Amino acid sequence: MMDPFSTLCRHARRVVFSSLTALLFGMTAPSIALAQDNPAFNPATWHLPDEAMLGFVEIPAGRFAMGSDPRVDRMAFANERWSGFMRQGNVNLPTFYIQRYEVTTAQYKAFVAATGYQAAPQSLSQADIYPAAFVSWTDALAYARWLEQELRTSTQTPDHIQQLLDDGWQITLASEAQWEKAARGTEGRVFPWGNQPDTSKANIGSAASDPVGDQNCSECAYGLADMSGNLFEWTRSPYQAYPYTSEDDRENLMEDALWVIRGGSFNDQINNARAAVRGAADPGARRAFIGFRLVLTPE
Amino acid sequence: MSQPSKSARRNNKKNRASQTQQTATQHTAGATATASPEVKWSVAGINNVVLIPALFTLALLALSFTSRVQQHDVLLYSFWAACLGLVLFQGGLIARCKKHGEERSFIIALKPQHYVQAMVHTSVFIYWGYYWEPVQDHVVLIIAQIIFAYAFDMMLSWWRRENYQLGFGPFPIIFSTNLFLWFRDDWFYLQFIMVAIGFLGKEFVRWNRDGRRVHIFNPSAFTLGLFSLVLITTNTTDITWGPQIASTLTLAPNIYSYLFIAGLVVMYFFSITLVAASAAAVLFLLSAVYYAATGVPYFLDSEIPSAVFLGLHLLITDPSTSPRTPTGKFVFGILYGIGVFVLYTLLSLFGAPTFYDKLLCVPLLNLSVQWIDRAVYPLRNVNWLEKIGLGVTPSRKANLGHMAVWILFFAGMTLFGKTDAKHTGDSYPFWVQACEEGRPTACDRLILLETTYCNDGSGWACNELAANFANGRFVEQDQQQALSYFARACELKYQAGCVNLLDPSTISQTDPRMFDLRLLLREGGQNLLETPDDELIQRACDHGWAFACRSASGDGSNQVTQR
Repeated sequence: MMDPFSTLCRHARRVVFSSLTALLFGMTAPSIALAQDNPAFNPATWHLPDEAMLGFVEIPAGRFAMGSDPRVDRMAFANERWSGFMRQGNVNLPTFYIQRYEVTTAQYKAFVAATGYQAAPQSLSQADIYPAAFVSWTDALAYARWLEQELRTSTQTPDHIQQLLDDGWQITLASEAQWEKAARGTEGRVFPWGNQPDTSKANIGSAASDPVGDQNCSECAYGLADMSGNLFEWTRSPYQAYPYTSEDDRENLMEDALWVIRGGSFNDQINNARAAVRGAADPGARRAFIGFRLVLTPE
Repeated sequence: MSQPSKSARRNNKKNRASQTQQTATQHTAGATATASPEVKWSVAGINNVVLIPALFTLALLALSFTSRVQQHDVLLYSFWAACLGLVLFQGGLIARCKKHGEERSFIIALKPQHYVQAMVHTSVFIYWGYYWEPVQDHVVLIIAQIIFAYAFDMMLSWWRRENYQLGFGPFPIIFSTNLFLWFRDDWFYLQFIMVAIGFLGKEFVRWNRDGRRVHIFNPSAFTLGLFSLVLITTNTTDITWGPQIASTLTLAPNIYSYLFIAGLVVMYFFSITLVAASAAAVLFLLSAVYYAATGVPYFLDSEIPSAVFLGLHLLITDPSTSPRTPTGKFVFGILYGIGVFVLYTLLSLFGAPTFYDKLLCVPLLNLSVQWIDRAVYPLRNVNWLEKIGLGVTPSRKANLGHMAVWILFFAGMTLFGKTDAKHTGDSYPFWVQACEEGRPTACDRLILLETTYCNDGSGWACNELAANFANGRFVEQDQQQALSYFARACELKYQAGCVNLLDPSTISQTDPRMFDLRLLLREGGQNLLETPDDELIQRACDHGWAFACRSASGDGSNQVTQR
């Protein structure tokens, strides 16, 4: 677990290191937000990563174990149990793509600038490379809908993405199952990097979010960044008891709306940063600790 | 206070002469406002110019340090700007007096038409404010306007003449302005400007009437009309509390009965019965004719909107800007009723908020009072009109007779459930059915109702509105609007709105939740947040909600539909 003092030291080390590099090589000192382990984003492509798939990472089709087995994960909460008879469920998902990084402030700003969307001012106040926070579930969907439209109509869109969209795929939030599979892989890991807690691989227990991709976690499942900590992430699944099915979105419509958030945030301890943790929030909640990432999905 | 100077005594003589002339004029024209005598004293001196406005300015400055004003920057700066304006005005006035060696005096003149009206206004504010908290929050700002009005009116009078009549005059002007319109904190400086324009209009826009120079317009109605016009043309109604003021009067239980009783006081003292009663009767009559012809109510949620009912008692009844003759007053009221009725439709057609209907026609009617009195003058020889008190000579006895007729009329309307009782237009299912049957304006009203309930916080109403936009049902199809209202429904925790936002190709709709019913069944504004569920369900059944009737009879399953 990382206390605020450790976080401060970490940032201080980075600033000193960056400044020394600048002095030695005669370069302009980079800011914290442009530290060397951060990805390159391209303003010409909606500030998405400058990669062939614009930062969308393929998650191959197949089964994975969803939920928690308390025999393996001592920190498991009751709502992670699959059913009265089963600790975990076996869920089969088709191939989908998920963003490597949480949606950044720059990306969200581009959407607001293009559409005049009434975003919460705090969601635009962070530096560009930080994850967009203070974004409600409805804001996240509005962004997803806009990005999909942009990708459908732009000549900048990579051919493969264009093809998938032409085939009926869509850009949206990850379902709870998609998110969990992307976070823990098919080996049933407790955390994205393995089964043991490691506070150096996630921004947890600190005072604020970090720039996206700031944690060095090359061993994390599918190479995704910040699936543990930094910001909780909205999903497109309503919060309801397991067992999970993808077809129960329109049940319990008379209940007050609650939507699943996943992954824990900088504000949480290690037990909330596990891949199977299920949080929930009002769809209108705009909080400093909730952000989102998108999927390109056939469903 | 200093002893009255020669100049003041001269002014007193002038004023006594003026008062005598005025009384004579009023007798000629038959006004009964002279029943309660005015009380006057006069005090003169240059110190008045220095001291009294400065005291008012200091009082306004002091109010700017209250927590209510301090909590908002623009409000605070508005107060300081108003103080600065008063100081500059006073500087100019002092310089002018010194240059010409003039003194200024004030005459204390306590006129019943001012303090009685002010008391009635105050009682309305207290009753309404008890049920709608923003009124309580607004009290400091009303006091500030009164202080500003005194200082401004006083200096304006002294700029143009030697004396100022110090009484309760500013009270009814400020009160009646604030009963209809006040600006939000972000724009509150416009409130001071509105007050100033009201007094400027009273001072400068004058004409000869019955041998006297008098103001043409009711000061508050003049400035309200002017600002309403600007707000409508610039589409900036949202910078005021106007719509909320118009719709929250009914939060106070039995508001019609309350206003009726308060109105009787004004009618008794100032003989304005014919104005208010004829306006009300015309509106009731036109509403009834419209309903009989179309099957839907003319006004959305009442026979006469409560704010209009307030207006016809306390806005158009200023004796000095309404006709002198009983027949003229009768015609004046009828014209106001017709004006409000027509403006309601005109404003709807232009997509403007309809609550301005009661404000816009008053200045025009004020302009027509001399014409009305002249037009009815030929009726002076019609004996039967004189006998029923509708001739050209007013009398207190006739006024009492008119009040009796008005009381009977109002009692009849109340008996038939046309005042404080539930109104047909309060029922959402009624409008759905009327719209499906193709009744005039019913679909527009339905969409308006859904929009209002959605803005009030009903997720169910937002989802219905969104579904209508998505399907092009009752309204032109608009997918962007649909998504926007689905998002609002979702943020109000209405789950169907969320799933519809996620996938608008399949639209889910449900019966309203209990929370939605608390908003949908308010009948114009009652607070139902604490109403027990079973009572609420019964009320919903009374409104025509089929699911509620099933639920009340024990078959209580909620319905979910998907299209």
